[in-house]
Amino acid sequence: MILPIRASQQSLLLLAFVACGAAAQDARSWLERMSLAVEQLNYEGTFVHVHGGTGETLQIVHRNDGGSIAERILSLDGAGREIIRREDEVQCILPDSRVVLLQQRKELNPLASALPSYTDDIEANYELRLAGTARVAQRSAQVIGITPRDQFRYGYMLWLDEETAMPLKSQLTDERGEIVEQILFTQLDIVDHVPADALEPTTDTEGFTWLRPPPLPPDSGTVLWRVENLPGGFRLSAATRGAIAGSEHPVEHLVYSDGLATVSVFIEDPNTQPELSEGFSKVGSTNAFSVTVRGRRVTAVGEVPRQTVRSIATSLQPQ
Amino acid sequence: MTEHIQDQLSAFIDDELSEEESAFLVRRLERDATARGQLARYALIGAALRGELLQPHPWVLQHRIDAALNGVPAAAQPPVVRAARQRGWRAVGMTRPLAGAGIAAAAAVAAIGLLRYTNEDSAVPIAQPSGAMFRTASQWQEPESYVVPQEAAPRAAPADLPIRLTNYLVYHGQYASHLSRTSVHSNVVGVVGSDVVLGEESPAVVPAAAEETPR
Repeated sequence: MILPIRASQQSLLLLAFVACGAAAQDARSWLERMSLAVEQLNYEGTFVHVHGGTGETLQIVHRNDGGSIAERILSLDGAGREIIRREDEVQCILPDSRVVLLQQRKELNPLASALPSYTDDIEANYELRLAGTARVAQRSAQVIGITPRDQFRYGYMLWLDEETAMPLKSQLTDERGEIVEQILFTQLDIVDHVPADALEPTTDTEGFTWLRPPPLPPDSGTVLWRVENLPGGFRLSAATRGAIAGSEHPVEHLVYSDGLATVSVFIEDPNTQPELSEGFSKVGSTNAFSVTVRGRRVTAVGEVPRQTVRSIATSLQPQ
Repeated sequence: MTEHIQDQLSAFIDDELSEEESAFLVRRLERDATARGQLARYALIGAALRGELLQPHPWVLQHRIDAALNGVPAAAQPPVVRAARQRGWRAVGMTRPLAGAGIAAAAAVAAIGLLRYTNEDSAVPIAQPSGAMFRTASQWQEPESYVVPQEAAPRAAPADLPIRLTNYLVYHGQYASHLSRTSVHSNVVGVVGSDVVLGEESPAVVPAAAEETPR
C-alpha cells in the first residue's frame, strides 16, 4: 500500500513541478508575444501613468512602417512634454524649458546589444506565472505575475490582451509588494497603418534651444570599466562612448540587463556635469544614484530598487 | 481651468458638493470639454491610486450626475466596444452611447465609463514578492474618502529636473526592455515636481584617484 501512495505522491509532485514549469513557459511565451506586439503593431492610445501618489495622462502613437519603428509619447497634462523615438534618434521636446534634446544611438559593440529575450535564464531571477484571466477595458486579458527572487529588482503584474498580447495594464511592485507604478490604457486602437505625420511634434519648437551631441573623434571602442558588485542575473548588454546632448566631452554608457530590468551606467568627467547632485535621485519609478569613483562621475539609472543602482554605481572598477 | 473648478471636480467625485453646487458643476460640464476631461482623469487616477477598487462606485457617480441634472436616475447603459472601423483601425478602445441622458450626463458618463473600464478585474491580486502580504478585493479596506490626485494641486516647475538627468533617462530609455521603455519615457515627459527627488543621501565614501582613471 505504501509504495503506490509514495509513487502517487511523487507523481503528484512531478506533475506539480511540470505544471509549474509549463506555466512559467507559458508566461514566458506571453512575454515574448507582448514584446513583439508592443514593437511591431501599429497603435495609438491614451494611458494613465500613476506613481508616488500622483499621476498623469499620456498619449502614445506607435508606427511600424515595414520594420522601421517610430513612437511618440506626449504628456496631455502640464506643459505638453513629448518624446519621439525613431530608429537611431530620440527627440525630447521640453516646452517648459524651451529645450529640445536630440540623441543618437551609437553602440561600441552592436553584437552585445541584443534586445532582452525571455530565455530560461530569466527564471533564475524571477518567478513567472499565469495569474488567471480578467476583463480589462472590455477585453479579455491574460494576467502574468512576475515576482523577483531577490531584493535587487522589482516585480510586475501584467494584463495582456488575449488577442493581441498588448499590455492593457501593468503594475510595478517593490520588495514589500507596494505598487511603485501603474500604467492603464484608457483607450487603445490597434490599426493597420499610422500615417507619418502622426509622429510629428505637436509643439512648435521655433526659438527653442536645441541640444545636440557634438561630433567627437572616433576612439578604440574598448569598454574600460566593469561593475564589481553586479547583482546576480545582470549582464552587460550594450556599451557606448560618445557625446551626449549638452556635453562637449565623451560619456561612457554601459547597459546591464537581467532580461527584464535594465540599468544604465553613465561615466563622465565630474566637472562637465555639475548640475546633477551626488546621492539618490528619483524620477517617478526610475531610481538613480550618482557618485564620484576614481575621479569620474558615475551615475546608475534604472527601474530597479535603490540598493541596486547604488551597488552598481559604487562598485565600478577599471577593467 | 481654475483651481476652484479643479477642487469642485474633486469634491464632486467625493460627494462633498451641495445639490446646488453639483447642479452648477454638471451644467458647466455640458459646455466645458476641458472640465469633462479633467473629471474623467481625476476619477481614473483616483481609482488607480486606491488599487483600482472604485469608491465611489461608478453608478453612484452616475446617480449623482442624474440627480444634479433632474433628480431622476437615468437608465444605465453598458459601455460598448467601438464597432466602427475608423480609418481601417481595429479598435480595442471603448465608447458609450450618448443618447438619453443629455450632453452633460453623457460627458460625465465618459468618466464613469473609464472607471468601469478599469474596475472589471479588481479581484486579481497584485504581484507580491515572496513572503509579502497577498491582498485581494475582499481584503481591501475602503478608503474613507476619495484621494484627491496631487495633479489637482499646482505643479512644481517641470524644469526642476536637471537637463543632464533628463538626458540620462532619455538615453537609458533607448536600451530599456519593451516592458520598461514606455515607463521610462513616461517618467521623462510626465513626471514633474512632486515625484522627483534629487541628490538624497549623498554618499559618504567617495573614492577619488583621478590618476587611476583608465584611458
